[in-house]
Amino acid sequence: MTDELNVLAGAYALDALDDAERARFEEHLAGCERCAEEVRGLRQATAELSRVSEAEPPAQLRAGVLAGIAQVRPLPPVVDSALADNVVALRRARVARSTWQLVAAACALVAIVVAGWGYSQHRDAARARSAQQSVVASLLAQPGVRAVTTSLSQGSGTVVYSPGEHRIVLLGRDLPALPADKTYQLWMLPDTGPAISGGTFRTDGAGNVDYQVHGDLTGVSRMGISVEPAGGSAQPTPSTVQLIGI
Amino acid sequence: MTGMRFERSHAVPSQAPEPSPEDLLARSARGDEGAFAQLYDLTASRIYGMVLRVVRDPAQSAEVTQDIYLEAWRQAARFDPARGGVLPWLLMIAHRRAVDRVRSAQASAVRDDKYATLTEDRPYDSVAEQAQASLEAQRVRRVLDGLTEPQREAISLAYFGGYTHREVAELLRIPLGTVKTRIRDGLIRMRDALGVAS
Repeated sequence: MTDELNVLAGAYALDALDDAERARFEEHLAGCERCAEEVRGLRQATAELSRVSEAEPPAQLRAGVLAGIAQVRPLPPVVDSALADNVVALRRARVARSTWQLVAAACALVAIVVAGWGYSQHRDAARARSAQQSVVASLLAQPGVRAVTTSLSQGSGTVVYSPGEHRIVLLGRDLPALPADKTYQLWMLPDTGPAISGGTFRTDGAGNVDYQVHGDLTGVSRMGISVEPAGGSAQPTPSTVQLIGI
Repeated sequence: MTGMRFERSHAVPSQAPEPSPEDLLARSARGDEGAFAQLYDLTASRIYGMVLRVVRDPAQSAEVTQDIYLEAWRQAARFDPARGGVLPWLLMIAHRRAVDRVRSAQASAVRDDKYATLTEDRPYDSVAEQAQASLEAQRVRRVLDGLTEPQREAISLAYFGGYTHREVAELLRIPLGTVKTRIRDGLIRMRDALGVAS
């Protein structure tokens, strides 16, 4: 079975897999040092291919790039620590902060932990997954917990919310695979005022995700997920938003 | 010193050792626009050239290349050196974007035309490119010549044609497993012949 996946190392390095295959292979890569090693070498060989297509870009492109970056802040690094550590930190922080500040802080932190790049993201997600499953089980045992499942254009989203703990878990199932430069983003949509980001998340190769965030949904009747450029957006891209009941 | 940072790095040979793409990207992650300009100068002809080969239209290729660099600037802090060098990383972002572009603009006429050209001429040996080829490009070309024709064809279609391995299998009317093997074996041969560190 490993060999069956290992033979994909070439097509992966050459970027010749479709989105679903790539996601599946990246998940495998996270736990297979032999494939990771091979991919590094083959990706470098692939990079050499671009020597034969070298072409001088138009001169004005450089000015365009430099003008562009002057207006964009680089994303912060991915903080490589277990999700659980941050959850503990957030619960401490909640004591001193107002609810929405907390939601914003939780979103930011979870986004930093969960959003990543390429397969490091999948690796982190895989690492977090087993912890997440027990988190969901414990959450469902809470008194007053709510769980609502909404069918989406493809797949479904279930929001599990514990009012006591202010914990929200999104269980996405069979969601469409996204290209590497896109990400899902969770939103709280208050009846008035702008959407509040619940951070970004990616699915596994099968389109499934268990994504946890802390937040108070009092007064919030709708949530949504949207498809955003990698790293997430300040506000959801309207055409991509799908509402999820809570 | 401030002015020099923006010089094209290959125009004026400098006494000091060239900063590596890895150094430049690390500085970019901290918001150093001058370092990013240097990184652009070191890599732009490789990135733009590959995008141009896949997308073909120069104006669209310039647009896509600009997006690629903005993305690289945003993601600079998330580059993971354990996974390989900066150039392969940039090229991977670039290839995804280029393929996204041709897919979203996918008119079947364009694709047919592309396939015809790819199969007629090998895409890496047009006369103009030969003329201005650097020594390294010649070396890579020799290595490509050392592949079997089926390996070279599968790799060219996937990389410069922007086709997935399934599409390559369909185009060549061969089993997917054969394409997977050709691509992998071809790349392994390239890696070994080019002596790239893995």
